[in-house]
This record gives sequence, structure tokens and C-alpha cells, in this order.
Amino acid sequence: MTITKSASRYLWISYTAARSNLAYSSEVIYRCSFLAVILFIFLRLWKVVYAASGSDRVGGMTLPQMVWYLVVTEAIYLSAPRVASEVDEDVRTGRLAVHLIRPLSYAGGHLSRAMGDRVVRFAINLTVGSMLALALVGPIPITASGLVMFLVTLPAAFLLDFLGMFLIGLCAFWLESTSGLALIYTRTVMMFGGMFLPLAIYPALLQPVLKALPFASMLSAPGVMFVNPSLLLLKESILIQGAAVAVFMLMVGVVQFVAMQRLFSNGG
Amino acid sequence: MSRGVEIRELKKNFALKRWTGLRRTVTEVVAVDGISMDVPEGQAVAFIGPNGAGKSTTIKMLTGILHPTSGNISVLGFTPWRDRRRLAHCIGAVFGQRSQLWYHLPARDTFELLSRIYSLERSEFIRTRDVLIERFDLGSFMDTPVRKLSLGQRMRAEVAASLLHRPRVLFLDEPTIGLDVIARQELRDLICEWNRNDGTTIFLTSHDAGDIEHVAQRVVVINHGHVVVDDNVAAVRRKYLGAKILRVQFHEAPRPMVLEGVTMLHESGCEWELQIDTAITPVRVVTAAVLNAGSVADIAVENPPLEEVIARIYCESRKEVPT
Amino acid sequence: MEAKMFRSFVDYLRLCASYLRINMNAQLEYRGAFYSQVAAMFINDGAWVVFWLLFFTRFPVLHGWSLKDVMSLWAVTTAGFGIAFGLMGNGHRRFAVAIAQGELEIWMLHPRAVLPHFLLGSTIPSAWGDAAFGYVIYFGFVKPNVQQAAMFVVLSIVVAVVFVGFGILTGSLSFYLGNASTLSDQWRDISITFATYPPTLFDGKVKVLLFTVIPAGFISYLPVQSLRSMSIVDLLIAVAGAIGVLAAGVVAFYFGLRRYESGNLISMRE
Repeated sequence: MTITKSASRYLWISYTAARSNLAYSSEVIYRCSFLAVILFIFLRLWKVVYAASGSDRVGGMTLPQMVWYLVVTEAIYLSAPRVASEVDEDVRTGRLAVHLIRPLSYAGGHLSRAMGDRVVRFAINLTVGSMLALALVGPIPITASGLVMFLVTLPAAFLLDFLGMFLIGLCAFWLESTSGLALIYTRTVMMFGGMFLPLAIYPALLQPVLKALPFASMLSAPGVMFVNPSLLLLKESILIQGAAVAVFMLMVGVVQFVAMQRLFSNGG
Repeated sequence: MSRGVEIRELKKNFALKRWTGLRRTVTEVVAVDGISMDVPEGQAVAFIGPNGAGKSTTIKMLTGILHPTSGNISVLGFTPWRDRRRLAHCIGAVFGQRSQLWYHLPARDTFELLSRIYSLERSEFIRTRDVLIERFDLGSFMDTPVRKLSLGQRMRAEVAASLLHRPRVLFLDEPTIGLDVIARQELRDLICEWNRNDGTTIFLTSHDAGDIEHVAQRVVVINHGHVVVDDNVAAVRRKYLGAKILRVQFHEAPRPMVLEGVTMLHESGCEWELQIDTAITPVRVVTAAVLNAGSVADIAVENPPLEEVIARIYCESRKEVPT
Repeated sequence: MEAKMFRSFVDYLRLCASYLRINMNAQLEYRGAFYSQVAAMFINDGAWVVFWLLFFTRFPVLHGWSLKDVMSLWAVTTAGFGIAFGLMGNGHRRFAVAIAQGELEIWMLHPRAVLPHFLLGSTIPSAWGDAAFGYVIYFGFVKPNVQQAAMFVVLSIVVAVVFVGFGILTGSLSFYLGNASTLSDQWRDISITFATYPPTLFDGKVKVLLFTVIPAGFISYLPVQSLRSMSIVDLLIAVAGAIGVLAAGVVAFYFGLRRYESGNLISMRE
């Protein structure tokens, strides 16, 4: 298949996934109501904190910025597609064995579907979250260039999360159930990625470590870039995201290779 | 107290609510339209009818799950929907589609649970259980997880489980569905045995004519919410199940054949589909005539599908004067 | 009369024990999956401990609440949830679905009251992780004295009663709205979310909400209040609240069941 043909095939997969997401309105309502509840609770939490701290900046952000930061990280977090469980099922039903002959196309297919899902869900979450944030704390200053910088951090953030979930799904080769591992993964992303608390709030000792970990690149980097864009931060993020993507892709490659060996020696 | 099952003018309507957009319309659906019958204790009744005829609704009213719109029911002296729990001690049920046995555990574990659910006295339970294990031949797989059992083994265990509390009425819904010929016969024999020896009243719902013929003494056909046929098995067999279908394939065009009691349903080139009225001409006579008609490549004799028989029963009974 | 009630109560307890045994046997057939789900929920709850640890490191007090208070809140809520759905697994997500699919009918063939029997029919593996977490956090982190420990054990049961009652209430929606499983899941998840945050965050108007439509107040605020004050009055109020939620659920269920038995449940969307 030529590059353009396979590219258009992947795009079609993404498009179909995106469209199907728009059909499940009850799921959308569910996510949006959850988003509203979280924003409501955290607004009250931050109000208390800001009042007690006496200043209008905490962790380098004002209260409205804190709320908008949460909107972005929540929008990203809640848009995650179920890659791990899909790959897990592929492994268990044996569908994977067929696809592993062309490993790139297998991962590619999942990636296109995941991205289609994710982009639509993220857009919906961000829209709803923005409306709620506007109602609760009003707007924050946003520039066009800031917005562009924010958008630049998104693809790698999504790709990283996909690779993480893909790896977990592949563990189905060795584990009786990957759902536990998947849960641990999402919670790790939540806590070490700075979903509720910007990394600046974390103890100073932990901050450099956390920044280097891939989880921060998934949530905190886009979140901060939306609220407080800066070129320096962008350069930093791109470097770290790039390195993380490379490492993850390597891990995926290794794991797939080992899995293939196991498949061929066990006869599927 | 032991008066079997008495049903008088049983009626059941459902209010069917439909939403079209935001508007709501309510239509009354008549599921059961005046059923009356008496089933003496110890009888085995086949309760048959096409889907949507009102069978399951009637059974749900007999077991206390639904309240009738009007009419009376007495099962073993109880009014089912009023005395549901007390009645439940005396009835058992087996559903072919829904299992009572816990799937990942051995049948033994489910039996223990059932003894607790029915608050059975320990020594009594052990005695009944052991009798059932012996008579249903469950001994070899009582400790094997149910998911590893064949369907035949599972259904035997299922029926045995429903008898643990020694019910006086047993409801069986499609118990032989999916079973192979041998397993089916085994299960029928067991149910028969329990009915004849222990006097358990049997309510059997089945689409399998063989089930009806082997297990039941009486056949009740339900259609459109009322009883269409209520007669003993022999009579029903004579009147309605006496037809057989014979399919034959010849090597080359056969000689024409005319026999009394034989109707040509379908003929094309080297294939015949005949309907035989066994009351007039027995199958062996027809088979012999067919073998004489030409060189036979393949031949099969079948019962007409029960749905067809029931449809025919209903059409015929409409013309008949009600007795 | 009392003797009969006592006997049937004992009989029900024995039924619970039998179901507990058979549910655990069924789970342990696949012990790898079971243990991993327990561990995963433990870690999931632990993530929130990490969150609050980080939070309170930076902001030591929240309207009079310290880290220990929030830990107590989490402990009693997760312990109650775990006890509730470790024992009565059908009271959680399965409830609404079972009603919609007619599964209750099988339970009506048994000589038992449908609701208390049906609830016992399954166990939720991850709930055991919650129960373990609640107790470990309380005894390991908060380090109570004897009275507090006793109060905690009692309160975890009180919270369990609230969870079961609320589960019945939300699940019974299926009697009235067809397959209401997503709606009832949503209602429950939102309520549980609110219940895991200190009540001091919310002002009067919201608090009214939290003691009615979103019963987080009964789930955790009243119980934690009595845990903090160690007052018997507060405990009795919490117990009354729990009984109220349970009663609401039971009433909703039996009204719905009556409708089901008259066959007025059938409705179609076109």
C-alpha cells in the first residue's frame, strides 16, 4: 500500500470513530455532568484555599486560571478512549495473532481509532467545560499565539497516553486480567500528571522528577500552556514530550517483539 | 389442601405504553382471555402454543409473579399472588434458557445454597439429595464446575436441583432444548419417573413433539389467550399428530404413485415431498410403495413442525363446534 | 411474635452466610482476577490519599479540617461501600439492569422476600478492596483509641446501610423508566463523589441538596460528624438518616414491584 493510501485508510478509521462518538448522547451527558460536579467542588475548594492564603496567586496561578487549568486537564483526562481493554480483548480472542504479522498496521489501526475518539470527546469536554468555567469564574486572558502553543502540546500528549494504554493492553499476554493495571495507570496519570493540582503545588523536591516523567506531559503541560503560555515552556515541553514518545515507542516495540516470540513458541 | 391446580376464567390485560416522540399512547393488550381448567395432582400436562399465545403469562400467574386482571387461581390450595412465598415452598421450576446452577462452581455448591434458601432440615436435605444424585446419575460430576459439563449433564442437574425441596408441582420450560437424542430421552424418562412414582404434578412447556408424547398425559393448546385444545395425548396424537412428512430423492424420474391417505405436498423432477395421514395408511406401506416407484437415492420421514400442527389445530378448531 | 421475628432474622443471617460463601467460592475460581481487582481498587483509593497528602502538605487546614479528618472521611466511606457491596453486590450496578431484563422473576420463584434475597446474589470484587482500604487507613493512619475504633466499626455498618438503601432507590428507577441503568449509575457516582469531599466546602443552599437529592450527607457527613464529635446523639442521627434512606429505597422498590406484578411495566419507545 502506498503512503497516501494507508494514510487515507487511517484517516477514515479516525473519522468513523469520531462520528460514532457523537451518536452516544447519554455517554456525553454522563461525562459532562461529571465534569460539572468536579468543577463545582474544586471551585469551592480553591475558593477556601485562596481566601486562607491571603494572596491572589497560588502556585503561580490566579483562581480563575486554576479553574481553567482544571477544565483543560479534566477535558483531556475524561476523553481517554478504551485502548487498553480493546487490545486486551484482541490478545485474548486471538485476533491479535492475525494482526501481529504486520505490527505497524495493527498499532496504526488502533491509533487512528483512538485519535478519532479522543479528538471528538476532547472537543466536547472542552466546550462544555469552558461554558461552565465562564459561568463560574469568567474568562481568562488568552492570546492567539498562546492558543496555538497549547494546541501544539496536544498531539504528543494524546500519543503518549495512547502508547501507555497500548502497552497495558499488550500485558494481556502475561496477566490474567489487565483491568487492574489499567486502573493503576489512569490513577498514576491523574496524580503524577497534575490533574487536580498543578505541579507547581507539589513539594519542591518532587517537581523536577515529576516534570521528567511522561505523565506530566499528558496533562500538566497542555494545562499550563493553556493558562500561562510561554515559549520557554513550549520548548521544554516539546523536548520532554519528544523524549517520552521515543522511549514509549521503544518499549512498545520491545514488548510486541517479545509477545510475538511468545506467540510463535506457544502456537497462539 | 391437595387440590392440584384450579383455574377459573383467568384473564390478563397489559397496558402497553408507546412513545412516539413525546406523545404517549396506551393500548390494552389481551394476553390471556378467559382460561379455565383443572389439573388434578399427579398429572403431567403439556402446555403448548405459539410464541405470544399467553403461555408464559399464564405460568407467571400460576407461580405468583403476576396478578391476573380477573379470574381465580388455586394452586395446591393457595392463591399464588397472595401466598407467593408459601406456595414457593411447594413448587419448582426449570427454565431451559435460564440456569439456576452457579456457572463457575460445582452443582454441589448450588445444592447446598438451595437447601439454605428453602430452609430445609439438614438430614432431610441430605437424604433427598442423595436419592436425586443416584436416580439422576449425577455422582460422576457433582464436584465438577458446571461450565465444564455437557448440556445433557447440566439439564439433569438442573432438574434435580428443582426437586431438592420435594415440590408437588414442577414447571418445566423447554427443558430439552439443545439436547442430543440420547440426553433428551434420558431427561424425559427421569421426568416421567418422578411424575409417575412420586406423584409430582408436571407443567411442561415445549416445542418438541417428542417431549409431549413421552412425558405428558394431557395436552393443552393455548392460542390467542385461550384454550384451543384440551385433551389427552393419545387423542391429540390421533387427531393432529397423525401426519408425517416423507421426503424422497430419486436417481431418475420415478413412476407416479397414488395412495390413499397420501398427499403430494411438493414435486419437482426427482424429488417428492409427501404428507402421510398415518390413521389411514401406515408409514411402512407408504415407504414400500415409494421404494417401488423408482431407484431411491435418499429418503427421510419427519414429524411436521409443531408450530404447523398448532396452527392447523387452531384453524380446525375454529370450524369445530365447541364441546 | 418477637420470637418469630428473631428466628426469621437468624434465618436471614444464615442465608447471608451461605451467599457469602458461595459468592467467594465463585470469585476464588479465578483468584488472579479477583485479587488484582481488590488490589487495583485499593490503589485507586490510595491515589486519593496521595492527593490529599500533597494538598495538606501545601495547605495545612481546610476550614477546620485536617488531613486526619479527610482520611477518616475516606475511611468510613470506603469501608461502608465495601461492606455494602461485598455482601450485597446486586445492590450496585446490576440492580437496574436486572429489573429491566426481567431477572427478578427467577428470584420470585423462591420462598423468600424478593428484595433482601436478590441483593445477596452476587459480590463485587473491587468492593473488598474498598473495605480493606477503609479499615487499613483508619487503623493504620488515623490510629484511633478503643472508643473511636468501636465507633468506626459501627459507622462503617451505618454507611453500608445507606449505600444499600441508596442503591435500591436508584436501581428501582428501572420500574418506572425502563432501563434506567445509566441514569442510576450517574446519580450514584455523583453522590459518591460529593461524599468524598469535606462538607465544610459547601454552604447552606448546597447542603440542603446534599441531604435530599444527592444524599452525600447521609453517606458520609453525618457519620464523620459523629466520628469527630464521638457523641452518641450524632451517632443516633446518623443511624436515623441511614434508616431513612433505606426506607425510601424499600418503598420505591415495592411500589415498583407492585406495578411490575400488575404487568404495567411494559413500555416501548418508537
